[in-house]
Amino acid sequence: MGTVQGGAVQVGVRRADPSRVARYGILAIPMLFVALFFIVPLALMVVGSFWERAGFWVRPAFSVRAYAEFLTGVRLFVLRRSLAVAGVATLAGLVIAYPIAYFLARHVPERTSRSMLLLFTVPFVINYVIRNFAWTYLLGRTGPVNGMLMAAGLIHRPLDWLLFSDVAVLVGLITSYMPFMVYPLWLAVAAVDRRLVEASWLLGANPRVTFLKVTLPLSMPGIFAAVIFGFVGSFGESAVPIILGGVGYQMMGNTITSTLGVLNYPLAAAMSSVVLAAMLLFLAGWYLVFDVRSFLGKLVRW
Amino acid sequence: MTRAAAARLGAWALVVGTLAFLYLPLVPPVLFSLRIPGESAGGGATLAAYAALWRNPILTEAMRTSALLAVLTAVVTTPIALLAAMGVRELSAPRVVLVLLLVPLFIPGVSMGLAEAFFFRLLGIAPSLVTILIVHVLWALPFAFLIILTAMAGFDIVYLEAAYVLGAGPARAFLDVELPLIRTGILGAGTFSLILSLNETVRTSLVQGPLNTVQTYIWSTYLQVGLSPELYAIMSLLIGLTLVLIFILPALARARPRPASEER
Repeated sequence: MGTVQGGAVQVGVRRADPSRVARYGILAIPMLFVALFFIVPLALMVVGSFWERAGFWVRPAFSVRAYAEFLTGVRLFVLRRSLAVAGVATLAGLVIAYPIAYFLARHVPERTSRSMLLLFTVPFVINYVIRNFAWTYLLGRTGPVNGMLMAAGLIHRPLDWLLFSDVAVLVGLITSYMPFMVYPLWLAVAAVDRRLVEASWLLGANPRVTFLKVTLPLSMPGIFAAVIFGFVGSFGESAVPIILGGVGYQMMGNTITSTLGVLNYPLAAAMSSVVLAAMLLFLAGWYLVFDVRSFLGKLVRW
Repeated sequence: MTRAAAARLGAWALVVGTLAFLYLPLVPPVLFSLRIPGESAGGGATLAAYAALWRNPILTEAMRTSALLAVLTAVVTTPIALLAAMGVRELSAPRVVLVLLLVPLFIPGVSMGLAEAFFFRLLGIAPSLVTILIVHVLWALPFAFLIILTAMAGFDIVYLEAAYVLGAGPARAFLDVELPLIRTGILGAGTFSLILSLNETVRTSLVQGPLNTVQTYIWSTYLQVGLSPELYAIMSLLIGLTLVLIFILPALARARPRPASEER
């Protein structure tokens, strides 16, 4: 892996002219923007989760009431369900996306694979609320899925657990987040040095062993990135449970929005901080175990 | 058929099948928007729902807001992303910077929207077009950054060095040599930012204040009164617009001048 990274990090062209200060200056605007409008608000949200309610707003304090309220009530069930549903959705996404990414990275010309990646990106950018409305029809009692199953003689009555159920929520989550899991996986598989695969083959390993011992371990950074993206997205999802889960189907995301609806800011902030903590945990693991640059090696290699 | 050919066929079947599964939900909104109220499926088609859209003042106002926001998001995000990508290259891609720039990708929309809403309210900034714009730019930035980074990777830095040797300053070298070659990436980043802004709901809904975008209009109308042919019509228009915009991207890519150092 060292050589791969070494190749990717051969970056900073030592130019004669601009001073280091000027080079940092280029980064100042984007960094300041992200720090001020993103990092600061997230930090404030975590701080705010320890504040107290005061009428319709909050008062600075140090109180863990919001967390106690969260972890003792029915919301603990919401947390457990969100973890389970997001876990299953992420795993399913990975199982679908990895073979696709592997195939596109290894067995398809680069031009074709880029077009395919674009095709996977399109549904991701089309508003997912709109796409999930469509699933309520497709999975409904009178919808085409039930229609086809009945026409095929597989069932005699429409399945009513297809919609407003865990199944529907999983379909919604997988179709929302799986498409974009393909991209980091593709990046990671494509970044694996082919010579290593050839070496493994020359040394007598069969394709399965080569995959398990060479390609899979070396594509872990991409798997991790895809898992973070899929898991955190599903875990904090707010629209899918409302549209496809049916009345009273609560996951972290829509529980947060409904808590905001009754203006309980500290509780909403506490729940949101838990989601954030889950994300940071994953991201810290990723950061510590892998070199982000090696994962971006295909992009950052000038 | 050989085993390799069979495996290849199976892999293509997986790719095409998954794509079909992903594109399937784009069909029903279009069908429902054309349906004549009261008649069952297949009972003729009408464009009445589309005509009704223009008679809805809340919706036309939301369309104006959405269009303005989308354009502003593209205009603001692209230069920031370009600076970020250039900075990352100049400084040998520091890990902290990369993580900071990519982290908005990994934060769920609700958490991000809530944090922004809380932040603006603590500062006493009333929700406005600007607050929505900031949220949209934050959301689009990592994508735009990655797109420009990809374009820059296809650019051989030797050209810049040649420009310096010939006496060009950094600004001149960038404008005359690099910019034309990474133009596609920059346009792509702008288009993608525009599309993301146009399709954003959750983050927007927490900082929108009295304003409506088309997406928040769809979402709040759904929550209050449910779906209607008008909603399906506006959804179909959004799907169509997004598809048109995104398929402009490959057309741009074809028009791109080939840099000397191609892939791999």
